[in-house]
Amino acid sequence: MSKARVVVTGIGIFCGAGKDIAEFTEALSNGRSGIAPLDLFDTSPFPAKIGCQIKAYRPEDYFKPTELKKLSRADQFGLIAAEQALSGSDALKHYSPWEAGVCMGAGAAGMFQSEVWLKELLKGIKASPSLLRGLLPDRTTTEIAERFRICGYQSSITTACSSSATAIGWGADLIRNGQMKCMLVGGSDTLSLLTFAGFNSLKVVDSTPCSPFSLGRQGISLGEGAACLVLEDETTALERGATIYGSIHGYGIAGEAFHMTAPEPTGSTACRVMRAAMRMAEVTQEQIGWVNAHGTGTPLNDVVESNAIKMVFGEQAGKVPLISTKAMTGHCLGAAGAIEALATLIALKAGFIPQTLNFRGKDPECNLDYCHHQKKTSDAELAISNSFAFGGNITSLVVGK
Amino acid sequence: MINNFKNIVVSGYAAITPAGVGVEAVLQCLQNDTTTLTDVPVEISSGHAAKWARAEYFKASDYIAPMKARKMDRSSQFATATAGLAIKHAAIDIKSLDAERIGITMGCGFGGIGNSAEMLTGFLTSGMEGAAPLLFPNTVSNAAASNASIEHGLKGPNLTQVQRFCSAESALLNACRFIEEGRADIMLAGGIDELNALMMTGLIAAGQHRRYAQAFGEGCGMLVLESVASARQRGATVLATINTVRSVGLLPPDIKEQGARELLGDLSAVNKITLSGTVTDDDCLMKRLPKCEHINTAAVNGRSLAMGATAMAVLVASLTDSQSGRHIAASPQGPYYAIDFHGATSA
Repeated sequence: MSKARVVVTGIGIFCGAGKDIAEFTEALSNGRSGIAPLDLFDTSPFPAKIGCQIKAYRPEDYFKPTELKKLSRADQFGLIAAEQALSGSDALKHYSPWEAGVCMGAGAAGMFQSEVWLKELLKGIKASPSLLRGLLPDRTTTEIAERFRICGYQSSITTACSSSATAIGWGADLIRNGQMKCMLVGGSDTLSLLTFAGFNSLKVVDSTPCSPFSLGRQGISLGEGAACLVLEDETTALERGATIYGSIHGYGIAGEAFHMTAPEPTGSTACRVMRAAMRMAEVTQEQIGWVNAHGTGTPLNDVVESNAIKMVFGEQAGKVPLISTKAMTGHCLGAAGAIEALATLIALKAGFIPQTLNFRGKDPECNLDYCHHQKKTSDAELAISNSFAFGGNITSLVVGK
Repeated sequence: MINNFKNIVVSGYAAITPAGVGVEAVLQCLQNDTTTLTDVPVEISSGHAAKWARAEYFKASDYIAPMKARKMDRSSQFATATAGLAIKHAAIDIKSLDAERIGITMGCGFGGIGNSAEMLTGFLTSGMEGAAPLLFPNTVSNAAASNASIEHGLKGPNLTQVQRFCSAESALLNACRFIEEGRADIMLAGGIDELNALMMTGLIAAGQHRRYAQAFGEGCGMLVLESVASARQRGATVLATINTVRSVGLLPPDIKEQGARELLGDLSAVNKITLSGTVTDDDCLMKRLPKCEHINTAAVNGRSLAMGATAMAVLVASLTDSQSGRHIAASPQGPYYAIDFHGATSA
């Protein structure tokens, strides 16, 4: 039996660079970054005081007070993005509740609220236990499942910065292999003191907006947000007249088994995962138009990823742009893979390759085409979106328009 | 969702739980009707009635080089040690195999929450000087699986799931599908939970000592799953086959009966059932179960989010030739799993 082609029939996004698809598309197209000074928490203890926070966010504009008591910031973002994707798709009307599932990638989850609980506990103050409700990273998935009556399957993938890319790949495979008819996939994550202090303690946060693949880059800019995709098999989606936003052709996944924070220096595992993704997608490297890099802006990661691209594409590597949208969205950790997969889908469909912002100079070790100076027009049909994570967890998605 | 598998065998298992090292320690407690649960000390419980079970005897340095163990959080120590025992039980010599074809999936409860709390406490009390960089890498939920993969050189698929009381079952489904799709030949599939005083304080503050955390535990269980071809090639002892993994995401009250029927399927040939997560609290599921042997490892080690891995290892260990075992797991607000194992002696 031939496997189904998996298409995207709904998209939603809520992040610092755009609170809906239109805003995000405009930012992606015009190279508008959401990285700015943070006001979510006191940044005075930190060397870096910027990030891509969702500014002017009023939860009460989206949720009732009773709902807000049990929703973490990450749950809220996830629900908002899911609502956008599902309402645009209309898919759930066409399936029984058992035929649809949800799989979200998560990271710090409700840590932002739980930190308040711990802070009060340390002061000897009894804090509201509702602050702990969203601590488990599976909460967003369950909230989405309950709100939209998605009963077939629920899971939450927690592989740090590759979580939501894996959620997309996994969800697509469940449809491709006939296990599910419709999957809501994506990721949600928020800024928190734990992650902000943690990355600062490792001295990998740039005090100015991150500049992936540039000379003199100092590290990441953190971000937050959520992105969701509705996945269906192409035949059924076309039969019901769904709008097709793109396709998920396959994914590769592996652990480097090297180090908890440092990437394997040759890039061989990243190369292997990209090749596996193309093999699972049944496409060749010649069909890949460009790559949306993990591209954090840390000195080591960007070199390793560039090396991996050279191994994958050989002599053609210089003709396959390797771009990073993190200078626009910040590094959204558990949501990064979904936000970047969505950016890839949007750009493929619109026929351009996004610019990598904040160029500071040419790094001799990063000697590929990073679209540092401007976006490029492109008629590419396929692109790869890479996600690397603490622990050496690597996921590569093959995305089509 | 129904996943039928014809190609997946269990070739090893291991557990480190409050009952002791090894699945046999849990079986022994079950046979003797003993428990490791004790009252939570009053300075933690503030006088509330709650029980817990901790593997206080566990010394990571018995299994991992002390310098490496010191860099790991407690969950990672459990997982790395258990993975080593599972690999040994399955008689896997990783150096003689393609490590890129051997992966790991873990269900993870609160993960290295103790590690995260320590890092945060340092920051909240002493600012950036108190934020220890050594602690931060292990604050991620995938630290346990990743540290285990680093220690044992597992370069295949690597994934962590957190899905309430079905975290381990969710990870097992990933592992099965990775083998079925040809992404791996051998997968370690496990579940890890740690329990500490701060967690118990939080659970009690949230009122969970009156609900799902009346008796909470910690530990790690792991199964070694393998394709039939791989098991044959290396002459592995096959302990069981995995035939079917059924899952339902959510059982809303108005369609719960229908969903329960779909989840449980035909139970007529089942000899033994392990009950995991909150399934014993769910009358709709419990009333459908046949009067065969029911095994509830929570009675020994307490309940925990990824307890299912230990329960599945216990089920496999207790199956004799040709017996059918069903592992059933539930979470409040879903998901739900029903996983069929069949006792076997050769590939």
